[in-house]
Amino acid sequence: MTADAPPAVAVDKSQDSAPISGVRAWLSRHPLAAYALRRFGLYLIELWGALTIAFFFFRLMPGDPIQTLIQTLQQNYIYNAQASAEIIARYKHEFGLDGNLLTQYVVYMQKLVLHGDLGPSLINYPTPAQTVILRALPWTIGLLGIASVLSWVLGVVIGAIAGWRRGKLGSSIATNLSIALSHVPYFFVALILVYIFAYSMGVLPARSAYDSNINPGISLAFIGSVLKYGLLPGLSIVIIGTFSWILSTRMLMVPILGEDYLVYAEAKGLKSWRILTRYALRNCYLPQITAFGISLGFIFNGNVLVEQLFNYPGLGTTLVTAIQQLDFNTILGVTDMAIFSVLTAVLLLDLLLPLLDPRVKYWK
Amino acid sequence: MNDVPANVLEIKGLDVVYSTNRGDVQAVRGINLDVRRGEILGIAGESGSGKSTLAVALLRLLKAPGKVTGGSVIFNPAGRSPVDLLKVHGEELRVLRWSALSYLPQGSMSSLNPVMRVHDQFKDVIVEHAPDRKEAVGDMIPRLLTQVGLEPRVARMYPHELSGGMKQRVLMAIAVALEPDLVIADEPTTAMDVTIQRVILQSLADLRTDFGVTLMVISHDMGVHAQLVDRVAVMYEGQLVEVGDVRQVFKDPQDPYTRQLIESIPQVGRRAS
Repeated sequence: MTADAPPAVAVDKSQDSAPISGVRAWLSRHPLAAYALRRFGLYLIELWGALTIAFFFFRLMPGDPIQTLIQTLQQNYIYNAQASAEIIARYKHEFGLDGNLLTQYVVYMQKLVLHGDLGPSLINYPTPAQTVILRALPWTIGLLGIASVLSWVLGVVIGAIAGWRRGKLGSSIATNLSIALSHVPYFFVALILVYIFAYSMGVLPARSAYDSNINPGISLAFIGSVLKYGLLPGLSIVIIGTFSWILSTRMLMVPILGEDYLVYAEAKGLKSWRILTRYALRNCYLPQITAFGISLGFIFNGNVLVEQLFNYPGLGTTLVTAIQQLDFNTILGVTDMAIFSVLTAVLLLDLLLPLLDPRVKYWK
Repeated sequence: MNDVPANVLEIKGLDVVYSTNRGDVQAVRGINLDVRRGEILGIAGESGSGKSTLAVALLRLLKAPGKVTGGSVIFNPAGRSPVDLLKVHGEELRVLRWSALSYLPQGSMSSLNPVMRVHDQFKDVIVEHAPDRKEAVGDMIPRLLTQVGLEPRVARMYPHELSGGMKQRVLMAIAVALEPDLVIADEPTTAMDVTIQRVILQSLADLRTDFGVTLMVISHDMGVHAQLVDRVAVMYEGQLVEVGDVRQVFKDPQDPYTRQLIESIPQVGRRAS
């Protein structure tokens, strides 16, 4: 996707202009490093662009967050008096809402880049938004990260075998189940799982992320509790995720089976397991790596519905609460987080793919 | 071992059909043909005459809806007992492949695995069928590549770094790596420019001298047969219309179709009309 990117560092063309400086000479001798540098530069530009757009986009949101905050404070602490203009001005300053849009933007970016500061959160005032986000992040990464990796591995393996043995009974079952189930929403499966395991059988908890009677910490009881509470939300994501990976892997696999090099491998008299792994799978898993990287980026949004349903304290739940309360610093922070993770995932993929696929070469 | 049968392959009454929903189409009809040890046998014929179907049926690579409906193909590999190629299955067939019966596909087609180095595509077939030569692989590959006129460094390259002619040579080198009894070459020079064709044909002829293999060359191009083969078999609509010494066939074709094929070779000074 970045093959046509304008070269930030011109490497080859400068040869004829007599003396080339040390850095350029070094870069022309190390095309991979030059490519990585150029790609990283592009990444920074993308990041800046996306964060800027997100900032201005959220400033277009209707509603007055300061009024909301003051109302909340009044409800909580029973303020009698009307908020004075002085208090409003102070809050506006603290939330970065004073001055014109451009000043606000400059202040926001300065805080973000220099201090990693997203500004105070409204719902948890005066806790900064980044603290709120970082508190939720491990839960989301733990739940969705593990579930995504698991469903990718299962899906690619089962999908490859289903494609390899197409026409056989087991393969037909896997394929048809995938067609039927891969687009069922996560939360629907989650509801069914909750009904069976939590409501009817009562063996698994359906709410929260751990047993509140156990103190969070590195203890066997706590880890066990986290795993137990994560089972149902995790399972609902793994089941559906696996089916959609099965379907897409099988779709990539079937045309490869008709390729000349597979016929050739068969004529060579290689064992079929070797043909499957070295010839078929090696040619079909590469697009799935790309797709996986992109999907990994998106999990940082949190799976809103699943987290809400299970009352899981991840980013999704944080985002929903923040939207309800017009907590714009947190909403923007979660968005920034998503932008950062998607772009970083794509960057890592672009750097990784040339190492996995010999045909991919961005540098010359 | 002293009385190795004179024929590597004896095809008797071979029938191949393709099933369609409007009935079967007979692609190969009752072919009887012997392949003599050490010869280069050409199979000629126009597109759709059944020559490629014959090749894939012999190699047991025929896929549905293709189906062999009759006949026998007795294969006599040196040092092994004769087998009917149409009746071996599974492991027995897999062991026979490459060490006794190998295949040279069209080089312009993507027969090489795009994500494996040339070296590894030699190695897997050698290790599979001759595990005792595993240690020698490092010497074997450069030698084989040199023999088909490639530099040993080609071994480290990926297929996309090779030209069509180079790919064809790599395929040739892999085909003879285990000194098989019979190599079936399907259109080995098609889609190559004429100068490369000439060189490839010479290399194919050298394979016989260097490795003592028997070659069966499928080609629609009568010029290929004229330059390369000892005997030529002409197919038309699934049947053999003529088999004979290549000089004899060119000098005095018995069948009117063979005559047309020979006349279809473009010649300098004669305009197509």
